[in-house]
Amino acid sequence: MDKQMSNENRLSSEFLNAFVDNQLAAEEKSRAYMEISQSEALNREVCELRKLHDLVQLAYTDIEPPSSRERNAWRLRLRLGIAASVMLALGIALGVAFSTKFQPLTSDHAAVDASHGGYDEKALSVYTPVPARTPAATPESKVLVHITYDDASRIDQALQDIEGLLHYYRDRKQSARVEIVTNGRGLNLLRLDTSRHARKVAALQKEFDNLTFAACQNTLDRIKREQNTTVQLLPGVIVIDSGMAEIMRRQDQGWSYLQV
Amino acid sequence: MNNLKSFTIALMAFLTLGFGASLAQAADKQHKAVYHLNSKDIETQQDVLRNAQNHLDAIGADKMDLRIVMHAGGVSVLRTAKTDVDLQSKIESLKLKGVRFEVCKKTLDRGKIDFKKDLYDVSEKDIVPSGVAEIALLQEKGFSYVKP
Repeated sequence: MDKQMSNENRLSSEFLNAFVDNQLAAEEKSRAYMEISQSEALNREVCELRKLHDLVQLAYTDIEPPSSRERNAWRLRLRLGIAASVMLALGIALGVAFSTKFQPLTSDHAAVDASHGGYDEKALSVYTPVPARTPAATPESKVLVHITYDDASRIDQALQDIEGLLHYYRDRKQSARVEIVTNGRGLNLLRLDTSRHARKVAALQKEFDNLTFAACQNTLDRIKREQNTTVQLLPGVIVIDSGMAEIMRRQDQGWSYLQV
Repeated sequence: MNNLKSFTIALMAFLTLGFGASLAQAADKQHKAVYHLNSKDIETQQDVLRNAQNHLDAIGADKMDLRIVMHAGGVSVLRTAKTDVDLQSKIESLKLKGVRFEVCKKTLDRGKIDFKKDLYDVSEKDIVPSGVAEIALLQEKGFSYVKP
């Protein structure tokens, strides 16, 4: 078709194409306008060319952009993937940090609710909230052992457990502190006049300098009030204001709590 | 410009997703409790099993890491369970909900107890070197102490 047209006209088809594509210099362009305005056939040909040009442009915009978008999309997808992974990891890290920080609080509340059963002596559960700890702070293990009874065989077992625990830490060269808190009848263990385990207590004190025996002042006061007796304690036993207060304080300080 | 915007939105979505996922993961085992069982009294032993069951029901077993640490007289609950079907089913029910029964090695050694022969359903992984130390250790890891 081009060939046919160009035969009829003085302007070559390359020239006309260049004109339609707007690739002519200003001077050539004005010449083209001149020629086209003077020739009906030329005018029609340019019109045809324009249509063709527009069609190609149209097809071009339809096809070409997707292909370039495709390439970009891959790059974008890759980048998005990497960024998403980073964000996901960051989110997980944040989540873990966040939940670790607030975890003990919620679990404590839940446990309190759950451990409420009957309030009779038998079913009474000892519930102890465990405060959040900072793991990096100290590797020292701190254990408070609470004794409230004076049944001889139970005390035997308790002292055996305490000794076992101290050996456990010593064998592993793990720094540890163990405190035995007595109140109520448990205090009898540490009374000079009533203790059936004075020798054992002395032996443990001698062997382990990280072991402390403590007696409750409230209990001592009560015995004085009710029995008019000033209690003498075994050597090396310390007196604390209140057994229960000591238990709470120690747990706030990160101590573990045990009733053996 | 539009691309950048959706890109940022997508990133924030992933951040939230990660945060939420890990939070949910942590929340799964948010509640940790160690039950201390050292009594040879069968009623106290039954109390421990019942309280643990109630505790799980209240919180939801999927959200709890619950351990029952046995030493001294407490180990006898597993000896009794060898021949007590009712006790077995209580223990099984707890184990199905993920409860771990930890047995003190010191107690086994002292009492010359063969956990494979003498105790109900105890394997190597259930043995801890010291029951008392294990209870202290678990508290260091954030477990609440419960002694029924």
